[in-house]
Amino acid sequence: MSLVTSRRTILQVLAASAAAAVTGLPSIDALADATARSDSEFFVFLIALGGWDVTLWADPRNELKGIIHPASTENTDTAQVKRWVDAPLDAGFKTFELVRPKGSGLVFGPGIGDLGDMTDRITVVNGLEMNTVAHPDGQVFSTTGRHPQGGRVAASSVDTILANETGREQLLPIVSVRFPSSYVGANLDRRVVPLAIDDVGSISRTLARSQAYDTNPERDRVTAMLSEEARDLAKRSTYPDVLEGLALQYEGLHRMLGSNLQDVFSGGGLRKGHPEFDYKRRFTGGAAVNAAFAVEAMKRNVVRCVSFAVGGFDTHGNNYRGHAQLQQETFGLVAELVKSLDATPHPTKNGARLSEHTHILVVSDFCRTPQINLGMGRDHYPNNSALVVSPRFRTNFVFGKSDPDQLLPQPAKKFADGERPIAPPDLLATFLSAFGVDPRKYMRDGEVVPELLRA
Amino acid sequence: MSMPFRRAWALVALALASPACAASPPEHVYPGPLVQLVDRGVIAEDTAPKEDLRMIPPEVYMRTYLQLFGGLAPLDAQKRARGGDGGALFDTWDDYVSALGFPDYRLDVPRQTQTNALMAATFERLGVALCDRAIEHDLRAPKGGEAPAPKDRLIFAFDLPAGDLDARAFAPRFDVLHRTFLGYPASLAPPQRTARFFQLYLDIVADHAKADPKSRLSPREAGWAAVCYGLVRHPEFHLY
Repeated sequence: MSLVTSRRTILQVLAASAAAAVTGLPSIDALADATARSDSEFFVFLIALGGWDVTLWADPRNELKGIIHPASTENTDTAQVKRWVDAPLDAGFKTFELVRPKGSGLVFGPGIGDLGDMTDRITVVNGLEMNTVAHPDGQVFSTTGRHPQGGRVAASSVDTILANETGREQLLPIVSVRFPSSYVGANLDRRVVPLAIDDVGSISRTLARSQAYDTNPERDRVTAMLSEEARDLAKRSTYPDVLEGLALQYEGLHRMLGSNLQDVFSGGGLRKGHPEFDYKRRFTGGAAVNAAFAVEAMKRNVVRCVSFAVGGFDTHGNNYRGHAQLQQETFGLVAELVKSLDATPHPTKNGARLSEHTHILVVSDFCRTPQINLGMGRDHYPNNSALVVSPRFRTNFVFGKSDPDQLLPQPAKKFADGERPIAPPDLLATFLSAFGVDPRKYMRDGEVVPELLRA
Repeated sequence: MSMPFRRAWALVALALASPACAASPPEHVYPGPLVQLVDRGVIAEDTAPKEDLRMIPPEVYMRTYLQLFGGLAPLDAQKRARGGDGGALFDTWDDYVSALGFPDYRLDVPRQTQTNALMAATFERLGVALCDRAIEHDLRAPKGGEAPAPKDRLIFAFDLPAGDLDARAFAPRFDVLHRTFLGYPASLAPPQRTARFFQLYLDIVADHAKADPKSRLSPREAGWAAVCYGLVRHPEFHLY
């Protein structure tokens, strides 16, 4: 009997190990250890709203090949694009020379801007299979790994998941500025409901309190009583979750107002405190305030995830002329953010810089068509690229590819379900696993891609 | 007893038991009770939906807020809440709409369906503005005039006794506010609620003068304002 039991146990262990190896999932113990180590990590998520043209940065194309019509002086304003160097195309128009940063095997288009000088910090994922060309679908798929179901978001977004796993105790677990953050499903703490705002300055105005009528302790007393009321009502309720969550949020409010955040998180205060960001840029000047907010909030250890958007990428017509500059500014903002994090000490780890513990993921809805349309712009296309800046990812590295003639995703590796391109669920599962989060706890699909992670 | 021997005994026992089972009479399932069942009591079926509480839509919150402010239009309510007296009680609706959970279709920002701590902060900011302005409107006499009669008041539609307030005098006045904000009598609320709010009132009245002698509210006004804050920010005001 004991022989049978032990043999069964051994078979179960072997089967589990094999399954983990096949699916690329790390062991539960390893995940638990990594999660425990991740409570001093910070996360920044950025979405390029509208769908970016990957041929201008991550998956550059500068030849007329197949259905691909590269960006050229015919359809692009090149004067403001710093890394644009003319190369011959046809009919007198010029395309761009590929950008080949020194000491790196990576190749970019001119849209990469200043981030092209930081190849030792970045990981690029190409040929992401999107299976959609609709904006809401693409945004939700890129951030949750699930397509919406009948217009409803079917899963939590990656920022919510990481806030839930590593940031429940933070004052602001997740601040979401025009980012498609979602809070869906079980296993979630009510404290990590995304603080969705359209402008970080509104935090300051919302937290402002007049001192002419009553005092902070008086309002705190009311808040404490409401927390008790919510807990009492929860005890009487069949489904107490929402009321218990509200009680926690009242307590969070007490801590939030006690931290004097309103003085710091005004737009003006952030601009003054973080002159390293360029707030006068044509397209990303407003988003730079969000980046400054991220740095300041992380420095003060009051936030876990900051998610924000840069808009204007949906360039179907003549506005495509500014698309390369928009990319240059967006990646320039990411480069400024990385430099700012380099210069900022970690709030809890002595001697460490914030950049050593901050992880940035940049995604978009999808990419744009390889053809130029009649309006001299590009439409929606079901391929995509993504950018990761994280010490836990292999840097100076590209994973995935698209085909040379049609810009469609090509198989990247043999996954558990066969050879296929990488897709957003795989990237998000990999991102979660890098911080010890078991992707299966939150995601239906997706497989960890160990090739993307540092050994 | 060895293992094969025990197994053989078990097989024999099973063989003996099988005919006994087969010999039992066939079972009949009748289409209804054989005798009429007698009523032993009537209980109303509880058809109330059994699901978790939800946040009221932000439009409903705002409409209710405006109604409480005297049925004003949004910009008029904003003007009255700001006041022009340096009170710094209110900024503009634009500063609060996203934190209240309103969708913004220009930016594809969906409506928020869950409360969060920043939303709770916004509820406080707006609630304080409403209650403090209501105190000024309802309980203060304008220059050369008298305070509005209770029927003309926005929120505090009751008389305040001249002296200190005891629990018996507090209860009916609290009931007026409870009905105004939560829509039902305080007597139907969980039993500790009136006592809890009375204690809040007493604590604020006792501490207010000491805490901030320059306050624009008297201790008693601050006490009623705190009761008002507690109701306009109450879980039952925001969830259904």
